Amino acid sequence: MLGGLLAYPIYQLGLISVFHYTQAQVSGGEPTTFEGFGNYSRLFSDGQFWEVLLATVAFAAACVVSTLAVGCALAVLLTRVRAVPRLALMLAALGAWATPAITGSTVWLFLFDADFGPVNRVLGLGDHSWTYGRFSAFFLVLLEVVWCSFPFVMVTVYAGIRAVPAEVLEAAALDGASPWRIWRSVLVPMLRPILVVVTVQSVIWDFKVFTQIYVMTGGGGIAGQNLVLNVYAYQKAFASSQYSLGAAIGVVMLLILLAVTLVYLRLLRRQGEEL
Amino acid sequence: MSPVRQDVESRVNLLRRFTRRPGRTAAEATALVVAAVVAFPLYWMVLSAFKPAGEIRSDEPRPWTSAPTLDSFRRVFGQQDFGRYFLNSVVVAVAVVIASAFIAFLAATAVTRFRFRLRTTLLIMFLVAQMVPVEALTIPLFFVMRDLGQLNTLWSLILPHIAFSLPFAIWMLRGFVKGVPEALEEAAYMDGASRARFLWQILFPLVLPGLVATSVFSFISAWNDFLFAKSFIISDISQSTLPMALLVFYKPDDPDWGGVMAASTVMTIPVLVFFVLVQRRLVSGLGGAVKD
Amino acid sequence: MKLSVRMVAVAAVLATAACTPQTSGNSASDKDEKTGTLRVWLFQEVNNQPKEQVVDSVLAEFEKEHEGAEVTVEYIPVETRAQRIKAAFNDPESAPDLIEYGNTDTAGYVKDGGLADVTEDFGAWNEAKDTDPTARQSVTVGGKVYGVPYFVGVRALYYRTDVFEELGLDVPETQEELISTAKEIRAAKPDLYGLAVGGAYTYGAMPFIWAHGGELATGKGGSYAAAIDSAAARKGIEAYTSLFGDDNCPAAKCAAMTGNDTITAFAAGKAAMAIGGDFSHAAVEAGKVKGAYKVVPLPGLKAGSIAPAFAGGNNLGVLKSTTHRTLAVDLMKRLASKKAQGELFEAMGFLPTFSDVRQQVAAKEPFVKPFVETLAADTRFVPASPAWAQIDAGAVLPTMFQEIVSGKKDVDSASADAARKMNDAFGSAG
Repeated sequence: MLGGLLAYPIYQLGLISVFHYTQAQVSGGEPTTFEGFGNYSRLFSDGQFWEVLLATVAFAAACVVSTLAVGCALAVLLTRVRAVPRLALMLAALGAWATPAITGSTVWLFLFDADFGPVNRVLGLGDHSWTYGRFSAFFLVLLEVVWCSFPFVMVTVYAGIRAVPAEVLEAAALDGASPWRIWRSVLVPMLRPILVVVTVQSVIWDFKVFTQIYVMTGGGGIAGQNLVLNVYAYQKAFASSQYSLGAAIGVVMLLILLAVTLVYLRLLRRQGEEL
Repeated sequence: MSPVRQDVESRVNLLRRFTRRPGRTAAEATALVVAAVVAFPLYWMVLSAFKPAGEIRSDEPRPWTSAPTLDSFRRVFGQQDFGRYFLNSVVVAVAVVIASAFIAFLAATAVTRFRFRLRTTLLIMFLVAQMVPVEALTIPLFFVMRDLGQLNTLWSLILPHIAFSLPFAIWMLRGFVKGVPEALEEAAYMDGASRARFLWQILFPLVLPGLVATSVFSFISAWNDFLFAKSFIISDISQSTLPMALLVFYKPDDPDWGGVMAASTVMTIPVLVFFVLVQRRLVSGLGGAVKD
Repeated sequence: MKLSVRMVAVAAVLATAACTPQTSGNSASDKDEKTGTLRVWLFQEVNNQPKEQVVDSVLAEFEKEHEGAEVTVEYIPVETRAQRIKAAFNDPESAPDLIEYGNTDTAGYVKDGGLADVTEDFGAWNEAKDTDPTARQSVTVGGKVYGVPYFVGVRALYYRTDVFEELGLDVPETQEELISTAKEIRAAKPDLYGLAVGGAYTYGAMPFIWAHGGELATGKGGSYAAAIDSAAARKGIEAYTSLFGDDNCPAAKCAAMTGNDTITAFAAGKAAMAIGGDFSHAAVEAGKVKGAYKVVPLPGLKAGSIAPAFAGGNNLGVLKSTTHRTLAVDLMKRLASKKAQGELFEAMGFLPTFSDVRQQVAAKEPFVKPFVETLAADTRFVPASPAWAQIDAGAVLPTMFQEIVSGKKDVDSASADAARKMNDAFGSAG
């Protein structure tokens, strides 16, 4: 049944993307008409789409790498500290994770506000604006994205480390290996299944970032310089109920993510890792 | 002493040895500093909830307030049906956590222990639904819910959330189930354990840390959902969930930041409570097996 | 068990799904019952109780008048309106009979086939003759009326009396003076914005374009053509964007600002002037500048003239799917009556849509005087086209302003691009 809850909407999504389907069609005000690949050609002929796609890929890649690095490093750190600092870090991280994205983004924006934010005061940056430059705006959003998504990686990987059979760690410890070496040559191979999940999930989420960009850059930045695909889809399609165009963008995103996932898994398999 | 217990116990000791190594002071200091940095935005949120309206965005961004007020919290709790929203959110989140943990545990065991063709394909298919913008799925899901007659009921939130959190949970638990040596399973059967006994009394405790991590994940994603909550609960406000009590404060042209921060604070606390309740299982996941 | 029933149902749905996407048959209802329950959706305000009291007193009278009729009101957060109202169009079962909606959404809802045509009822309503013309325009699409105006919101110029006094400045009487005064203040007090402006503040920029005789788009009856690149409109764009820069409001900070950001800056004492709405009053009162500011209508080109302002606000409308049309229309008129709007103003500060009622409340509450004057002078509305939702969501106008103030494009090419995007939207949304 649950499979149906997932598969059926996907099937509908593909269907919608080849029709002319707006709110007027949904609520029966106008008949649906078949459009073939009209929605796709509209999308591909829009120069902005390609620019946004490129920015999305680069931004998502930066977010994934930063999130995984921070999350894994802190997970290892957690195994090396006693209960009190561990609980403190976990609670702080959980709080960051649990804060609704819309609020988290607002708070980060307030903290880095040119006129009213404490960060510029502390750093002595005067009224430097973080959201005006394209890269600086992306960087600020990246910080927020890492802030709210590293806890997921940290908790998951930490849970993975707790479940690693100890004989393995024993052997490494007796060899006198450094923490980095233990991580690299013992934990990573053991945790591979979990790291794969965490990586794939992060890729999916970071590719689909919406709230953070929408809130922090005011819907896509100065003159749209910080648009990512999901925000683009919202502005072009969903906000004005152009579901068919939105579905076409959704299908394109699906294909890209699927390709990335498959290539990643194929690479792992080539390295001799069984999934 | 059974071989299972012996094995588990020696692991616990070794893990302990691994974690108690020199440089712990530095590690702990780092952990505390990171915790402080990570918590600062949260502190700012809570602080803003207590600040009087004119002070939240002022040109003197002090990290304290000389005139704390509960006004913002009063506006949050003063909303009609606030208690009802809270209860609904708890019902949805708990139902999603229990159902997805249960199903994912069995499914993960199945896909790990039994080999069948297209296994990887199936696992990837699980992820596909997450790869498209949720906005694009709400319309089809809306029609499914309508045809099932579940619009305006909590089922219309519970079912999609289970469906959306399962793929991750299955993938994740698979890693944990795989990590349990097959020798352990054989040893258990040699001890005369039944399949069910192995599943629930041996395997289950061993993958508990993974279950806890996935539960936290599904709890948070169900708890913080705005889109389904406003798309499927349309005409029956008594079935609304907490995020709706937060959205009230996002008024176009005139947002009430104090209310936003107070409502978010109120929303975040139950998640922390949930985590404190389950985190012992995460930290001492292996302990569960030892007690067995 | 319930779940297995559901599984069968899903299987059935899957099996019967034909090869077109699903739609719902939301045709107008033939029924017009005179008893039963009416469902009403109104927007939930942050401080909702005073509004509930006004509504409850209207309901009490309504229920006394119509025996056997009952009304349930649900207050929904404004942020959830898009999903809920669309859902109501998709599922008549959950749909209310009467809704409150933002007046810029009118054309979109009509296109979606959701709102009932009430032209005749509106014409026969004796209070309708005093409805101000822009408010009437905001419920009209293609010559037909799809609801009644509930309240309006309008913007005017907030200025700091202490700053003006200290620098010995006069309140600007023309747009030119407004701009020069803003720069004068900035020169004398470099830590203040002269006039806080925002690149994403469409409704603050519109008066500049309208004052120069420009328009967003021209046309009637569903077919619009962008006019944002006309010579007159470009003069207005030029004037507004000249306010971005180190001599008034630095582009690095102001390009991204929204209307609310400019009011925040003003309330926090960071700006000597700002363009704010009657609805911004509470935020400014809570800020640092309390007691040290005044409001006047935003000046137009000639001395003594008022720049045309955007008339925002909300309407009430009956849904096409209602099975209680007569009752719903009657309740709509009662909720939006002169008496109820007067009470709503007292409770919430929402400006009435009837010119005469507005004059009365202005006499009682001096604060609203400049806003009422602005409304009496000349107000405009966005194109009554479903494409407006697309233009608004696609940030077409903010993008244009931001391209200019960040130096990426000049006025001519930015406005030409914006016009092209607007025409695309008009073309595709019809």
